[in-house]
Amino acid sequence: MSDAPTELGELTITRIFEARPEVVFECMTTPSHLTHFWGPIGMSTPLEGIKVEPRPGGRFETVMVNDETGEEYPTHGVFVEFDPPRTFSFTEADVAGGMTTAIVFNDLGDGRTETVTHQTNVPPMFMSPEAQAGLETSFVKMDAYLATL
Amino acid sequence: MANDPLSQTFAALADPTRRAILVRLAEGEATVNELAEPFDISLQAVSKHLKVLEGAGLISRGRDAQYRPCHFEPAPLEAATDWIAMNREIWTERFDQLEQHLKRMTPDKEKEKEP
Repeated sequence: MSDAPTELGELTITRIFEARPEVVFECMTTPSHLTHFWGPIGMSTPLEGIKVEPRPGGRFETVMVNDETGEEYPTHGVFVEFDPPRTFSFTEADVAGGMTTAIVFNDLGDGRTETVTHQTNVPPMFMSPEAQAGLETSFVKMDAYLATL
Repeated sequence: MANDPLSQTFAALADPTRRAILVRLAEGEATVNELAEPFDISLQAVSKHLKVLEGAGLISRGRDAQYRPCHFEPAPLEAATDWIAMNREIWTERFDQLEQHLKRMTPDKEKEKEP
């Protein structure tokens, strides 16, 4: 995998899937597909708890259920972008002060798709141009330090 | 904006000057004057940044009334990085399962192509 180094407060995950962008995009935005893979290991995501309103401003909600304890973990996302099969993004206002997840689907032209998932926990109001310019240098240093903790 | 500790940590870290202050303090304690030196900003501005960092629990201040040296407190950062690591794990497992799901779908697609 070719994951970029993680900046503090941000997460980028790059994956290549053996399917065309249209198929991968549909899987990631259709409840009957999502129920098969959305929950991480040890969690299920029942079909009836998944809401997808495929448009900017539409809801993107799931309820993950712990297979052992039955504990429920609802997620409340709202689509910001919805542009099949190129990209979609959603915000979760109730996670870490407002988290945005953006997924870009790159057509590799050979039936495969590269997805780049980028999550940022830094609310947009703090992402001034100055703050962004500072990300490069300060986060690199901070990451180096964190690696020693 | 939410006031949970994680949000405060990320908000405190969103400013480049505050991150630079933390990087400096990670090397060892320092006074406000020492911290202000490399920046082209007033002592008051530095003090404001220190208050935000203190509010997020990322630094503590000494009791010495005159100098009040600042110490770096890594615990909130560890919570933030733990959270990021957990999210990475969730997405990695999610995509592993999507991969399996796509594999299960493929035979159906091929069947559709057959006359």
